[in-house]
Amino acid sequence: CAPTKPPSDEDAALCVLVDSREISSGTDVISALKAVHGLRVQVCSLGSCDYVVSNRMAVERKFQSELLSTVNRSKVTQRIQRLQGMFERVCVIVEKDRSRPGDPWKFLQRTQCYDGMLAALLQAGIRVLFSSCQEESAVLLKELALLEQRKNAAIRVPTEVEGSKQEMLNFYLSIPNVSYVAALNLCHRFGSVRKMVNSSPSDIAAAAQLSLQRAEELFRYLRYGFDAQMLPENISAKGKSDGATKS
Amino acid sequence: MAAKGSLPAAAGSVVVPYGHLVGSERWRGSEIARGLQGKTKLIFEDGLGLVDFHLSNRICVLYVSEADLVAGDEFKRRLVRFRNASSLGGIVIVEKTPISEQYFSAVQKLVVLQLGMALLPVANQEEASQLITQLVSSVERLRIVCHSVITCFRKLKRVREQSKDHSSNPFLRKQCSQLAEASVFRTVQQIPGVGKTKALLLLQQFGSIHQICNASVRELELVVGQTVAKQIHAFLGS
Repeated sequence: CAPTKPPSDEDAALCVLVDSREISSGTDVISALKAVHGLRVQVCSLGSCDYVVSNRMAVERKFQSELLSTVNRSKVTQRIQRLQGMFERVCVIVEKDRSRPGDPWKFLQRTQCYDGMLAALLQAGIRVLFSSCQEESAVLLKELALLEQRKNAAIRVPTEVEGSKQEMLNFYLSIPNVSYVAALNLCHRFGSVRKMVNSSPSDIAAAAQLSLQRAEELFRYLRYGFDAQMLPENISAKGKSDGATKS
Repeated sequence: MAAKGSLPAAAGSVVVPYGHLVGSERWRGSEIARGLQGKTKLIFEDGLGLVDFHLSNRICVLYVSEADLVAGDEFKRRLVRFRNASSLGGIVIVEKTPISEQYFSAVQKLVVLQLGMALLPVANQEEASQLITQLVSSVERLRIVCHSVITCFRKLKRVREQSKDHSSNPFLRKQCSQLAEASVFRTVQQIPGVGKTKALLLLQQFGSIHQICNASVRELELVVGQTVAKQIHAFLGS
């Protein structure tokens, strides 16, 4: 059950995972990460968050305007809540909305909702960083990745998966509260699904770089006694896959 | 703004009464103090040391003005001294103006990434007072949240269903877990060759993912047939 692969070299390029949706909304962030900072950027469908900079830290990029009005409030909070279920550390980068060149210095029309959101984020132990543009967000992402590397939490496994490993990855991704990076670690650190399933919580924690608490949750999940009576009818019904079954 | 040579505060050294905010004497008559009037009960106290406002017994605010930023590194020494000596959670409020903007990213790096404290930019003291009002009400809600989480767990013990939790800070709401059945069902379907019908049969026969993973090909065959049994066994590996 021990990890099958030793950690790769210390001098391997710093790696961040980027959600595929950021290709359109964060073009300059991604190109700055690659070209200016020399990071290894792996685009994948993270779904739950915008960036993953280490085995335990997720980063959300939010425009100021998204936090200003109550319209997006529940959407933003739900997303961050989910992240807290998956990651030890969550960070939000509040980025100034893009303005046309030549626009005069514009003061932020601060709202109570904005202040309330910031207060709630801080109270929940979420790190909040402010950025004035995409390039600056890239700098912050690099700094966070470096900080996490110093704390020995850098992403060290290969981020590309092929063939049967892809099926294995999908299997791990379907487990509640297992993040993309945790699934990657499980894929690469355990020779097979069976080995992983038969490992102790502490072995799982060490291999997948999870906290012991999360590893125990995973351990219990794999042994959860399934009761068909408790399965919601809309899910068990044949051929009726609905939005609720997708994550 | 902080007096030189003053001592940083320790947790519990200042008692903040419920629903109140304790501010340093030096803020009396300031725009922030005026802005807070009527919104929160502000008490002034002497000898708060490096701290400008105490939001609760454990959380305080350090204010860095535009003038502090322009004046040089004195404010950095103040923040570092606070961080090294105080057990309080510190929120640094920084005046980010057209003049002080150039220093902002360096200050943010120091405060958030190096000192591990929170930082919030404001344009002026008026915005600061609005922000502090929200921070205070957030601290107060926190006590209510703690209470409601306990009630939530009590309810959960009795009925195994999603509880209705009305706590105000959404990020602190304890996520009451959904039934694991749906997730387990979904996970088993990720095994190649296994769809809804076979997943249900497998789970009904073996009871858990762990048991399915440790079933022999022969045991699997009885449920899903020879071809798929082999496929499953191959996927799960040695």
